[in-house]
Parts: sequence; structure tokens; C-alpha cells
Amino acid sequence: MLGYLLRRSLGWLLMIVVATNLTYFLANFFLDPRANYLQLRPPRTPGQISRSLAEYNLSRDTPLLDRWWHWISGIVVHWNWGYSPVGESVNSQISFRIGVSAQLVLGSLILSTLIGISLAVYTAARQYRFADRFYQGVSIITLNTPVVVASLAVVLLAIAFNQSVGSTLLFVAGAQSPTVNGFWPLLLDRVRHLILPTISLTVIGYASYHLLQRSLLLDNINSDYVRLARAKGLTRQSAIRRHGLRTSLIPVATSVAFAIPALFTGAVITETIFAWQGMGQYFIQTIGKNDIHGAVAVAAFGALMTAIGAILADIAVVALDPRVRVN
Amino acid sequence: MGFPRTAPVLSVRDLAVSFPSEAGRVDAVRGVDFDLCPGRTLAIVGESGSGKSVTSMAVMGLLPEYASVTGSIALNGRELLELDDRQMSKIRGRDLGMIFQDPLSSLTPIFSVGRQIVEALEIHQNLDRDIAWKRAVELLDLVGIPNAAERARSFPHEFSGGMRQRVVIAMAMANDPQIIIADEPTTALDVTVQAQILDVLRLSQAETGAALIMITHDLGVVAGVADEVLVMYAGRPVELAPVEELFARPRMPYTIGLLGAVPRVDVAERRPLVPIAGNPPLLVDLPPGCPFQPRCPVSVPGCGDREPELTVVPGAAVDGHRAACIRAHEIRYDGRAVNCGGRIDGRPVYPVPPAPDAPAAHVPREQRPAVLEVKGLSKTFPLLRGALLKRRVGWVYAVSGVDLDIRQGETLGLVGESGCGKTSTLLEIMNLRPPQSGSIRIGGVDVAELRGRGAERQLRRTLQMVFQDPIGALDPRMTVFDILAEPLQAIGEADRTAIGARVDELMDLVGLDPEHSDRFPTAFSGGQRQRIAIARALATNPSLLVLDEPVSALDVSIQAGVINLLNELKATLGLSYLFVAHDLSVVRQISDRVAVMYLGRIVEIGALDEVFDNPQHPYTQALLSAIPVPDPVVERTRERIVLRGDLPSLIDSASGCRFVSRCPLHVTLDVAQRARCIGETPELTGRGGTGHRNACHFR
Amino acid sequence: MTTNVPPLQPIVDKVDTVDTVLSPTEERVARRGQRLSRRRLYMRRFLRNWGAVAGLVILAVLVVFAIAGPMLTPYTYTDVDFTNLASAPSTMHWFGTNGTGNDTFAQTTHGLQRSMIIGVVVSLLTTLISAFVGAAAAYLGGTAEKAILGVVHFLLVVPSFLILALISQKVGGDWKVLILVLTAFGWMLGARVVWSLSTSLREREYIQAARFMGVSSLRIVLRHLIPNIGSLLIVSFTLGVVATVQAETGLSFIGFGVKQPDVSLGALLGDGANTITSAPWLFYFPAAMLTLLTVSMALIGDGLRDALDPTSHSAGRA
Repeated sequence: MLGYLLRRSLGWLLMIVVATNLTYFLANFFLDPRANYLQLRPPRTPGQISRSLAEYNLSRDTPLLDRWWHWISGIVVHWNWGYSPVGESVNSQISFRIGVSAQLVLGSLILSTLIGISLAVYTAARQYRFADRFYQGVSIITLNTPVVVASLAVVLLAIAFNQSVGSTLLFVAGAQSPTVNGFWPLLLDRVRHLILPTISLTVIGYASYHLLQRSLLLDNINSDYVRLARAKGLTRQSAIRRHGLRTSLIPVATSVAFAIPALFTGAVITETIFAWQGMGQYFIQTIGKNDIHGAVAVAAFGALMTAIGAILADIAVVALDPRVRVN
Repeated sequence: MGFPRTAPVLSVRDLAVSFPSEAGRVDAVRGVDFDLCPGRTLAIVGESGSGKSVTSMAVMGLLPEYASVTGSIALNGRELLELDDRQMSKIRGRDLGMIFQDPLSSLTPIFSVGRQIVEALEIHQNLDRDIAWKRAVELLDLVGIPNAAERARSFPHEFSGGMRQRVVIAMAMANDPQIIIADEPTTALDVTVQAQILDVLRLSQAETGAALIMITHDLGVVAGVADEVLVMYAGRPVELAPVEELFARPRMPYTIGLLGAVPRVDVAERRPLVPIAGNPPLLVDLPPGCPFQPRCPVSVPGCGDREPELTVVPGAAVDGHRAACIRAHEIRYDGRAVNCGGRIDGRPVYPVPPAPDAPAAHVPREQRPAVLEVKGLSKTFPLLRGALLKRRVGWVYAVSGVDLDIRQGETLGLVGESGCGKTSTLLEIMNLRPPQSGSIRIGGVDVAELRGRGAERQLRRTLQMVFQDPIGALDPRMTVFDILAEPLQAIGEADRTAIGARVDELMDLVGLDPEHSDRFPTAFSGGQRQRIAIARALATNPSLLVLDEPVSALDVSIQAGVINLLNELKATLGLSYLFVAHDLSVVRQISDRVAVMYLGRIVEIGALDEVFDNPQHPYTQALLSAIPVPDPVVERTRERIVLRGDLPSLIDSASGCRFVSRCPLHVTLDVAQRARCIGETPELTGRGGTGHRNACHFR
Repeated sequence: MTTNVPPLQPIVDKVDTVDTVLSPTEERVARRGQRLSRRRLYMRRFLRNWGAVAGLVILAVLVVFAIAGPMLTPYTYTDVDFTNLASAPSTMHWFGTNGTGNDTFAQTTHGLQRSMIIGVVVSLLTTLISAFVGAAAAYLGGTAEKAILGVVHFLLVVPSFLILALISQKVGGDWKVLILVLTAFGWMLGARVVWSLSTSLREREYIQAARFMGVSSLRIVLRHLIPNIGSLLIVSFTLGVVATVQAETGLSFIGFGVKQPDVSLGALLGDGANTITSAPWLFYFPAAMLTLLTVSMALIGDGLRDALDPTSHSAGRA
């Protein structure tokens, strides 16, 4: 098993390396850092711009392959992912933003999964009754409401809520306030910032787990082994819970595992709207500011997350399903 | 034999079940009455859609919520239909045990079998974990799982189908139920395993003293196990009688037809089977009158008035013989009791159709040209392990050194249990690619010497195939016309009118209305679809038809018609068949020669009657004896060789006889002889030059 | 994709209806006198699903609105009314105006049109590509299959959202280029789903039968494989429209999609978000259109899947 995981990981590593290098060349083709200097007053000469950029290994006067070699050896030898056109270190940006994103992403992932699965168990047992149809309708609507709309609606509701209670209980922007001290006040401040983005990510995220788990459960409810479990003397409900649910969790676990990477880099819009400085927002920023090294680092991070998701999915399957255990 | 007078443990009255559907309300069960006495076995027999399984599900309270159930089901006088799921769950598993058809899907894949049996015990008994586990192991041991203590920790996928069915039986008997319901418990299993499972069922009944409801379509199984038999048709019981009476003197034309349509492995006389015309009715908006009337050969105008009740037949040989037919009392049996020998007004209820005459058969076999010659054919597959990562851990020897030949106008039956390599053999032939080793010649052309698509196409014309599943073999998105035109277009026919004429001709040939060729396959019944598949295979005028279990997916009454059609086509068109089947009784109906396969090798080959009447190889003998005969007298008196264990896997390539692990003869041999079985691969050899050969050192 | 769009896979995975689309009883009813043709049966099932019917009605209204809307107002989406800057809805400007004086009604109808065209064209193209690539990979097998799957998997790992943003950033706001880019990076998941379905179809006996009759590979893919995953393709087309509209909205919202002077609903929302408290009508109207569009499409897709699903019990009760 370990050997298998190791081999899989190596395969993924190779894919990540190839994908990252590909992005490096693409980014060099599409992004031109010189543009950042053109609006500066007083105007710089091309020579000046080139010299400033050369400092960060971004000058077009250096052949692309030389720059690439410099960049890649920096990563391999010093784990240094380079600098933005204005000299910010990519490493420090990313290490700070991963933490910010993680707060946002993990909480809502856990909430979405729990809400989705519980709703599925509840509705599957009531197939085609009112509760089932109602929650299914709600889920179809939330799943398909555009993220922008859902997030802005949450913002509007929160503003209305704050106005009605007469103070800013929930913050609609930022990850924390700059002037809070002490452990408990700090924690409370974090929570007040976290609530709204977490709600909006959960609202758009839970429905896919609900609908997937529900249909898998329904398949299983009609399966021969749930019928046999009932024939042994379990009630319908407990047969579904004991025999149907765990078997049908396998695909859902896989899809949760795969959702982690998508969430990390995919929460772009949520982070933009709630002004969180996470990975998603960094991604827009790097492209907007022609930050080649930053963009490539985001790409590498995305590929890494995909790989981690895939490996987690493998582990989940092996843990839940005895049929695939390699003897 | 009359009915015992003890109080019934289960009493069903006027049970009716209906389901909603797009087409309207489906009345799946329409008034079932029966009593089941302690320790007795009631068989419920019927074809697919007759309502037999729905009846058993209604007794268990396992029908889906949207089903509407009326009538009465009383267990020891307690009405079950009034109970809700929670109350019913206290009865299920404790008083009622159930065994389902498909053992491969009825165990939860993610729990060990021991845990699943423990669960069955703990639901109804307040047991200590250790004690429950010990009891579970005992039960597994009882149903014949070797190394039960160890195997209890294994997961279902580590067991074979037969072993899983034993586990299910262990579960059903765990709480000493009063009734065990077995719904087609052996249908998904091989015939040698079926014999074992039926033994285990008898054992479980003896252990628990339970009454058994056996639901099956197999009249042979019924003849072996039942005390009373209930025959169902179109959701209604049409005949109820003690088993011997039912087989000897059936009083309902449907039952008579069913018995006449079953091919028998023990009867040498080759007469055409007697099919029942038409198809079972839809259970939506049934017209008044007897539902069997449109198919009944002896119906009279009075049959259409109202549906006949299941009433006692006046003048029946035993009391308690009931039938739902207004002419039941007119049916007579002269002296000897013979299946389907019922007569009305001196004429048989079902006249036997004439046997087709095959001109090819008049020429001695040796003088007819060979259409297929297979020599030393072998096929191996890499064996892959691991569901995530496929790794080759060995080779599967699917086919090893198979020799066959088929002459013009001849049918070779290739028989064996699932996994014996018969399908691999057939696919090797159909692929028209040079085999891994050995040679295949079709109509004298060696496939290894085929060059180019043109030559391959030319050869494909002469070789066509009919598949097992008539639903799967026809593309559901194409009309019958397009389906039949496809082989013609594939050989380069482009003229629409020529194709149209040929399609009409083909429809006619297989007994279908050419007008219907613009319909989609779903508009036809199973038997009709198989006819379409046969028509498609005949489109290019082939000389050899390869038939892969062509009737095993069909109901008995329909199957007989298809077998007769195949025999007729062979006679009129001079076709040769390679007929692959697991059912030896069907093979007996259609073949001229038989080859028996075991684990990739042919163990016995010869002319039909020689092999069936005088089987040489111990495997052939066991196989023949495992097939249940639809005659309770024969079935209960004959001696049966029950093989141990399951079909081993084909991984071993070592020399020696592959049957050694299950051979009943091997254990009777002395040490030197046994060593020969293990060390030396037996060749196919014959005595007396009759062409009857077998691969056993000692036969 | 740049948005929080959930992967397409779990949605379409369920549509393995493939061929046995009728339950045994219905089949036999169809046999008897052809009382219910297949198409009419689907229609009946679809119409019984009120959500799907509501979706169809909403979509029809939206289509009419997108086509007729621009004719109802004297302003075009580029006209600027300097006398009305950021004014609230009035009889002159039904949906109000934005900060530069554009008429929001004209912009919304135009944006709706844009989003619809992009959604439909991209989904159609990706569905076709994924059907052909997936089915071909499954049927051909061997090295061809391995190569095609390798490419698909690699493209799935490559951060396509980033490349998408890079390209549309560079070429700047042309909706036709956006269609090309969204198509180029949108077909892989679908192709994988089609492939996995087709591999099970490939083992079907009618495919084997065709092969044994000597029917050519191309013909088998076109005549047998693709028609039999038709229901999957129909459903994945409708859901693909939703996914594309969401992706386009996301891209335009963060400024990498359709750009000035052209407008799409996403771009309008991007403007509206900045003035959500001062000029909320700039958010409300495009948001409502967009949500109605995606939800109605999703309801239709869901209804279709249910109608084409053989195991569906939408038949009601006895």
C-alpha cells in the first residue's frame, strides 16, 4: 500500500513539475512586467526599466532560457520562488496567504460536508415526499446561484442585519481588524470576520454533496444488501444508516477530497468580495500586476493541491472499501 | 398423499399487490391464497412477471412504500399486513428468514461476513459479543464453509458465489425461524453448486424445523424439494397440488404446457418441444376472463366470461388438488402418468409438432465437409491484482489445447460451468485473429493466413454469432430494419431495395411479421428479440452460426419455441451450429455432438447420446447427475454425485488433471494412481474408434 | 474555471441511463399497440416535474426578453445619458443608469444576450468535443486510449483557470475569443465521463455483434456508441450552459472576461458590486437575470435527467 502511494506521489510530482514549467513559459508569453513601469511618473527609459526588472530576473533583455534556468535553480537550491516586478518576495506572500485561505476554506468545507450529508440522509429516507422535494429544490437553486450573486446577497443581508441591531456585529470586509489585542478579543474578532464568507461558501458548496449523497443513497436503498439487512430484522431507517450510508460514502469522500484544491484557488470571488487576502485574491493580483513569478507559484500551488486531493481520495477509498485493499 | 391436518404456520388469503406505473396500475399479484404448515415445503412456480417474487416480498413486508397491498397474511394467526415497519422488523429475521437470488450482491461489501451474521443474531437476541461471534462461526461451519473460524473475518468479495449463498443461508437460519423464504436461491449459480446449495437448504430446514417457501422457475428444482406446488400465472395462482400429483396429472392447460416445454436431460428420444404460443399478458387493465385464454390450445368461448376461481378439481386423484380452469375436470390421463400427456376428448391438450427433416443428416458425417476445425487452441490472459494499481501476478489459462471440428449440417454442443473457458474459446474463433497457439480453420480457410479487410469480410459472411442476452445484443436506438440491414451493409451491400427485400425475407424466416420491421427492439418480447438476433445472424447466409447461450435468458415456454426454430432453420438451411450452453438439457435437445469443458480443457467429446447415456469422465458424470429432472419420482430416487467445492481458478498451468481437486474418482484410487492424476496431463483418448473420447487416465 | 463552480462530474455521473430507458412494464406497454412512444413518455415525465416546467417557462421568458428587450428602449447599451448619472429606476430609465450614464435596462438585456450566446455555444462545442474524444478513446482502446486519456488527465492538472485568465487578459475582452478559450479548457471532464460510460458500453453485446459483423470502427462509434449516450449528452449540455455562464460571470466579474465597451451580466455585476449600497439597482437587475438563467437551465437539466432515467419513480402513486 505504502509503495503504491509512493509511486502515485512520484507520478503526481512529475505532473506538477511539467505543469509548473509550462505555466512559466506561458506566463512569460502573456504577461509583460514592463507595463507596470510605463505609468510611473516621471517616465522611465526602457533601459532603466530593464535594469530594475533584471534585478528580479524579469528583464526581457535576458534570454528566456537563461531566466528560466535562474528561476528553476532558485527554487531547487534555495526554495526561492522569485520576486514580483516591484520586488515583493513570492515566498512570503504565499506563506502568509495559505493561512488566510485555510481559515476560510476548511471551515466551510467541513460545514458543507456535514450539512450536505445529513440533509441527504434525511431526504433520501423521505424520497418524493414534501421535505425531500423542498430541500432538493432549495439545493438546486443554491447550487446554481452564481457565486457573485450569492456572496453579494449575503453582504446585503448582513448590512441590513447590522443596521437593525444598530452596530457592526458582522464584518463584511477583511480577515481581521488592525487594532485588537488580547487572546479572547482577537478570537472574537476573527470569528466576526469569518462568519459571512464562511456562510456564503457553505451556501454554494453544500448542495453538491446533498444531491450526490442523496442519489447514491437512493441507489443503495434499493440494493440487494440493504434489502437483506431489512430481512434480518433491521428497520428501514437503521438498514439505510448501517448498511447503505457507509457504502455510499465512498464516492462522496472522493469528491470532498477533490474539492479541497478547487476551494483553495477557487474561492477567488468570495475572497474578492469579502476582501480577504487569500490565495484566490493573490491569483487575480498577480495576473493584474504582471507578476510572472507569483502567477507561476499560484499555478504550482494549484497543481499540488490537485495532487493532494487525488491522493487523499485514494486513501479515503482504501480506508472505506475493503474490496480495493491490496493484499 | 393428502394435506397434513396441523394448523398452518402461515396463512395467506386473497393477497393482492399493485404498483403505479406510467402505463397505469400494474396488478402484480391478484388474489393469492395458500396455507403453509410447519416443516413443509411449498414451491411457488411461475415465469418472470407471474408475481411469485412479489408474493414473497409481501409476506416479508419488504415491498416498496408505493406498492398497495391488500388481503391477509397471518403468521400463527397474527395479521402481518397491519404491522408497521418497526413491528414487522421484530418478526423479520426471527420468525421469517429470507434467501435472495443473487448472492453476489446480497451481502454488504464493506463488512466481514462474521460481522453480518453477528448482526443478524444481535438484532433479535441479547447476546454477548463473544458468544454471538462463536455462534456465527458455528453457523458458518454448519452451512459448509471450510475453516469457518478464520473465514468469518473475510469480506464477501473474498468468497465465491456458492460460498456467499451459504453465508446468506446461515444468516436466514440464525434465529431458528419458523419459515424460510428462498427466492430463486440457485438461479445465479452453476449446476454443480446448485446441487450443494439445495443440500444446505435441506439441512437448514432440518436444523431449524422451519417451513420453506421455495420460489423458482425451475421445475427440476421443484420436483426435488417441494411437498406442495403452487403454479402462478399473470399474478394469480392457477394450480395447487401435492408435488407428485402436479407432475403426474396437471389439470391446468398452462401447467401442462409448462411441463411439455421443459427440455429433459434424461430422455433420449428426440422430439420437438411443445412451446406455448404467444406471450404472458400485461398486468395493466386486464380484460375479463381467464388470462391464459389467448394462449390456451383448448379454450372455449366460456373462458372469456370471467376469471376462473382456484377450486378443487372434481374427480382428481388426491383431495386438495385445485385448479383455475373451467375445463379442468375434462382433462383425462390414461393409465400411465406421463408429463404433458393430458387429453381432452381423446386428443392431447398440446399436439406435438412434427420433427424437421434434415437432408444433410442423411450423408455420413465423414463425407461432409468441415466448416470449423480448431486444433490445439490456447488462450492466456494476464492476471491482474489490485483494484487501484493493476499488477500482473500470473496468467489465466482460459483455453488450453482445445481441438474441435464441426461438419456441415451438424451441431456441436460445447458445455461447461461458468469460467470453464467456453466463451473464451468462442471469442477466439469469432475474432478471426491468429490465436496465441494452435490453429483455427473456417470453411477450410486458416485465419492466420487472412490478408486484408476484404478477405476478412469474405470470411465474416460465413460465420455469424447469436448472443445470450437478446436485450443487450440489439442496439436499442436502431429500428429492427436497421439492425437487420447492418450485416448486409457491412459486407458491402448498398442497394436499398435489395436490402429491404432481404429484411422482409429474414423476418418471415424467423416467424415475425415483416410489417413490424420499423419498430424498435423494445417493442418486442424477449423471445421475439432473440428471433431478431437470429435473423440478423442469418442475413449474410452464413454456413456456421456460433450460439452463445441463446436461450438461457428466456422463460421456459418461450425457450421451447426458439429451440424449435433453431432446429428447423438448421434442417432447412443446412446450417452448422457451435452451440455453447451451461444447460445440458437444452444441449440434449439441439446437438448432434457434445464437448464437455472443464477449466479450459475438453474432458469429454462424442456423439450426443453416447455422452449423455454413457458418460465416461467423472466430471461429465457429476455434471449430468447434478441436473435436476422435472419428475419427482425420478428426481427423488436417483443417485446423485455432488461435487465438493467450487470451480477452482485457472491460474495453475502445472501438468496433471485439472479436475483432481474435486474428482470423486480420484479419492478412490490407490497412491500410485493418484500420483499419475497429479503428475501427468490426461490426453483425450477414445476406445473402439467411435469418436467418443475422454480425458481421464482411468476411464 | 475561476469561480467556485463545483466540478461537473458528480452532476452528470448519475446519467447512466444509456439504453434501457424503459422499465419492463412500460416497455411491454409500448409493445402492445405502441400506445406510448418513447418520446411521448419522456415528454409526459418531463411535464409532470413542475420544477422543470417552471424552468422551461422562465427560460422562454428570458429568451424573449433578451431578443425583444433592446427594441423596447430608445437607448443602446453604449449610449450615455449625461443628464442621468447613477439615477434610480424611473419611467425614462426603467432599470436606472450607472455612474457613466449608461441605461441599465439596455445593458442588462444586451448582457443577457451575451451570456446566453456564450453559454450555449461553449456548452454545445464542449459537449460535441467530449462526446467524440471520449467515445473514440473508449472504442479504440489500447495505445490510442492511453494517449487520449493521458492528454485529458494532464490538461486537468494544468491550472486551466490560470491559463484562461492569462489568455483572456491578453486578448482583452472579445467575447468570441472568450468562447474559444472557454471551449478549449472546458471539454476534458466531460470527455472523461463519456469515456468511462463508453467503456462499459463497449462491452455491450450489440457493439461486439457489430464488430463480429465486420462493421468499421468509425461507424461503430458514430452509429452505436454516441447515440446510446445521447441522454447523457443532452443533460450535460444543459448543465454545461450553467457551468459556462457561471465561469463567464466569474471571469468578467474579476475583470478577465468580457470588457468595456461590451457588457455581459458578469461585467455588470462587477460594476454593481462597488456601488451595492449607493446604487443597488445596478446589482439587483443583472443578478436577478443571471440567477433566473442559471437556475432555470439547471431545473430543465434536472427534469430531463429524471425523465430520461429508467429508474425514476416520477410516476406517482397508485
